[in-house]
Amino acid sequence: MQRAMANRLTPYMFMAPAVVIMVIALLYPLGYMVWGSFRDWDPSQTIGEAEFVGLKNYITLWHDPNFRESLGVTLSFAFFVVTFEMIIGVGLALLLDRNIRGMSVLRTLFILPMMIAPVVVGLMWRYMYHPTVGTFNRFFESIGLPSVDWLGANALMSVIIADIWQWTPFIFILSLAALQSLPRSALEAARIDGATGWQQIIHIKLPLMMPVLIVTGLLRLIDAFKVLEVILVMTEGGPGLSTEILALRISRTATEFRELGVAAAMSNYLLILLLFITLMMFAFTRWQEMRTNRLRAAAEEDE
Amino acid sequence: MSTTYDRQQPAFYALIAALVVMSVGPVLLMFVNSFKLDVDIISGTSGMIFLPTIQNYETALCDVLWYKPDHVDHCSLKFGNAFINSLIIALVSTILTLVIGCMAAYALVRFRFMGRDSVSLTTLMVRMVPPAVLLVPVFGLWNNEFCIDKTSYVGSAIRDTFGGRGDVCLAGTHSGIILVYIAMNLPFVIWILQSFIVQVPRSLEEAARVDGAGPFQVFFKVVLPLIKPGLAAAAIFTFRIAWNEYLLASALSDRNTKTVPILIVNNMSEFNVEWGVIMATGMLLAIPPIIFTLFASRQIITGMTAGAVKG
Amino acid sequence: MSNSLKSTVVGLAATACMAGSALANPYEDYAGTTLIVNFPAHPHYDAVMKILPEFTEETGIEVEVDQLPYLKMRERQTLELGQDEGEYDLIAYVVFSKADYVFADQLENLAKYFMNPKLADPSYDAGDLIDGYVYNIGFAGGDKGYLEGATGSLFGIPYGSETSVLGYRKDIFEKHGLEVPETYDELLEIACKIPELEPGMGGLSSRAASGHHAAHAFLLHLNPLGGAIFDDQWNPVVNNEAGVKAAEALKTIVDCGPEGATNFGFGEALGSFLNGDTAMFLDTTVVAGQIDDPAKSQVVGKVGWALHPMGVERASQTGGFGIGIPSNAENKEAAFLLMQWLTSKEGDKLVAMAGGNPSRFSTHADADVNAKYPHMATFGEALKHADPDWRPIIPVWGKINADLGTTLSKVLTEDLDIQEALDGVAERTKDVMTEAGYYTWN
Repeated sequence: MQRAMANRLTPYMFMAPAVVIMVIALLYPLGYMVWGSFRDWDPSQTIGEAEFVGLKNYITLWHDPNFRESLGVTLSFAFFVVTFEMIIGVGLALLLDRNIRGMSVLRTLFILPMMIAPVVVGLMWRYMYHPTVGTFNRFFESIGLPSVDWLGANALMSVIIADIWQWTPFIFILSLAALQSLPRSALEAARIDGATGWQQIIHIKLPLMMPVLIVTGLLRLIDAFKVLEVILVMTEGGPGLSTEILALRISRTATEFRELGVAAAMSNYLLILLLFITLMMFAFTRWQEMRTNRLRAAAEEDE
Repeated sequence: MSTTYDRQQPAFYALIAALVVMSVGPVLLMFVNSFKLDVDIISGTSGMIFLPTIQNYETALCDVLWYKPDHVDHCSLKFGNAFINSLIIALVSTILTLVIGCMAAYALVRFRFMGRDSVSLTTLMVRMVPPAVLLVPVFGLWNNEFCIDKTSYVGSAIRDTFGGRGDVCLAGTHSGIILVYIAMNLPFVIWILQSFIVQVPRSLEEAARVDGAGPFQVFFKVVLPLIKPGLAAAAIFTFRIAWNEYLLASALSDRNTKTVPILIVNNMSEFNVEWGVIMATGMLLAIPPIIFTLFASRQIITGMTAGAVKG
Repeated sequence: MSNSLKSTVVGLAATACMAGSALANPYEDYAGTTLIVNFPAHPHYDAVMKILPEFTEETGIEVEVDQLPYLKMRERQTLELGQDEGEYDLIAYVVFSKADYVFADQLENLAKYFMNPKLADPSYDAGDLIDGYVYNIGFAGGDKGYLEGATGSLFGIPYGSETSVLGYRKDIFEKHGLEVPETYDELLEIACKIPELEPGMGGLSSRAASGHHAAHAFLLHLNPLGGAIFDDQWNPVVNNEAGVKAAEALKTIVDCGPEGATNFGFGEALGSFLNGDTAMFLDTTVVAGQIDDPAKSQVVGKVGWALHPMGVERASQTGGFGIGIPSNAENKEAAFLLMQWLTSKEGDKLVAMAGGNPSRFSTHADADVNAKYPHMATFGEALKHADPDWRPIIPVWGKINADLGTTLSKVLTEDLDIQEALDGVAERTKDVMTEAGYYTWN
């Protein structure tokens, strides 16, 4: 009897530390933030002292052109980053999916950028983009091209390039793994049917990789909304608001403008956006599971 | 091994070379620049021909050097201290996250219990939470709510032992930062380890149970050794985030608990962009991740694929 | 030269003198104390770091310094000063924090320290402190809340006084026979002539990056050209003719400036001057030390200094830091002693010799200092023209400043129409001011 009791408690004992920590340091803070977003809250006050203002922060933000611009920047940053990274990453995977010497060394070198601290990435690129002493403009100068105003007029493009540099390897590695786990039989069959390289890619490889690619893309999309340090170090959101992504604006609103309530409301908008994407990802994986189950059932019936 | 490799066209090798230069180039550039004086970096008349100097590293590490470098008037950087903080925070949070995370992952995979589905769903959902979203609440809570009154028994004991003033709060302590990092990393670790634990054959565990092992013994003696690759992958990713994170650390640390990323951002401040010293500190911050990458790339790649493909 | 402050301080000092010097060593009671101070990472405070050991040696009071970039420092202070008991015994604060801190009752009124005969040094000579800065940085509660006035009192002492001066390349000006600009028209003309005369070289390097930098650069031109952010009734007038002119001046300067100037922060602007990429530099006085440092500068010995050019008037900026004692500090009296020591005649000279920015008239005139730093005379002259009202130091300024800086950055990079941009700033400023209650009495 006692034994059975202990057994029933076991999973809870295994779960307890994780649940306690996540409740204290993740869920409670999130609830605290929602609560705070309805208040006019200054960093020198505790939340209890702050005045309750209802939805005011949300409404102000909704009509705030700066917030809207920052939201626009965030969305276009995420969109371009994910699109280019997917195209380049998958393209490289298709190209490099060959049996060559030293592939593991190459993969090691390729994942280097994503392991390095965002702060350091920002600092390296800020140096390389420097208008006069930077690597790029020096290089352009030496081959007689006009120099580019990287972090000025083209700031958003420049931070997008830096992010592509850092995160394309992620997509590359995952698509390479997906490619290499494709059923050899399908590829063989296609080859015997005389399909060209392009035909193989379009009709066989890409469709088979698609489930992995979609999940990878959505994961990258979620991560693209988390980017902050690289941009902070490179441009601090400037010039104007041209690179001020939401994460950065939240941190500036909290620390520089000292409006915790508004920052909390902004955080909530961002959370809602991410929640939407996450739900899409869930829906997709569910749908896919159902489909494979159905296919398997159908296959079993055939036998 | 007698694998045969396909022969490729020269253009293919050129492409590979270009890719390697692109991914490693910026790091190499930083490495080279960290050995240059500021004047050499700024004037930059020649890319590779210069007199290498370790001055930048001496300036960066002045507080832990056993001698006083000639060119440092006063040691303002305190990089050594920050490096130690970073190490403590990253290591402790990695170890705790792993232990707590794999216990939870094991429970989620192997047991049916009430609330399992909601726990598992929550774990998945909170993975998306960006650190920036946690900034406001964590700042407020850690400074104002998660405190022990200094007049209380525990509070006064802590103040007597460690000094300091005011109520004893989580903010400004190593534990405060570690706690956030554990919470931030747990969902990911649980997710990744689940896919490894599923692959452990149940029969092994049952055999151990028949031999009279309790659930904890089964877990530590049978399951853990079998998921070592998964643990390694999870460890590297957790360490990477804890080691590299800036935003929350900067909101929570005080003058004694600053981590290296904070120091680097602070030193990009507007008055003196001392490129040489900054590159040196950047290089020092990048070394542990670089070492991991070089020696454990297989685990990293396994971890990435397991984490994503399992979806 | 004035007035209430001076007479109070001197009067009290005299009292202290008469009370006699029963204590042989005023620092005796505090020896062994460790003060925790919060200073910015800034050239002046780097110089301070070099002289602090002398203070410890003389007084036996240890000093532990937490140095942060100044915007970070402000964040940190917001947090620390809000606690019941704070860690810092003495802080350096940015001028525009004065309003926040005093308003929230977080800084000690210094009267009780200068009244205390055991603490106040009779030879302090407060009248020697540059008065414009005392009012700008240390004074609160006077006219408009932040200026000199009968109702004000002292909460901090200026330490690290900066103003704006024009640095120019003597060699370039000589080569092309250019005159050092005296007025804004001349300044803008030369700034745009230089890229023609010296291909590849920018005219004047200015900060322009989004946010604080752009706003700062604009304000630098606003006062000399006769503009202001507010009129006397707190109505925003930044979009009047003078305001537009100042924004145009900024745009001209950036357009004729070095490459990439639209994204220059202070560091980049200075870097480009140090690197010889521009012929002029119009900003704070703190840079002099770096310009003469061969490890950082390519233009050692080639730079001359002149006063900030005139528009309708001569008005250079008043910037820099003050030091004050937080209300929640632990060792307030010892902190006062450090503060007094640092800003005393001896301390001011020591820090000037170490490369800092002196805050006293006597130090600017000092022979040793001038021998070591020949530019000090010009700087002293410039300080006399410093305008304490060059930006409003009111609690909501941070918000207005951020908006101004972002909007101006759009003018510089996205060709937003200047009038339209400033109208927008004025309108939003009006809203902020309404909400903050500045029109309650209208």
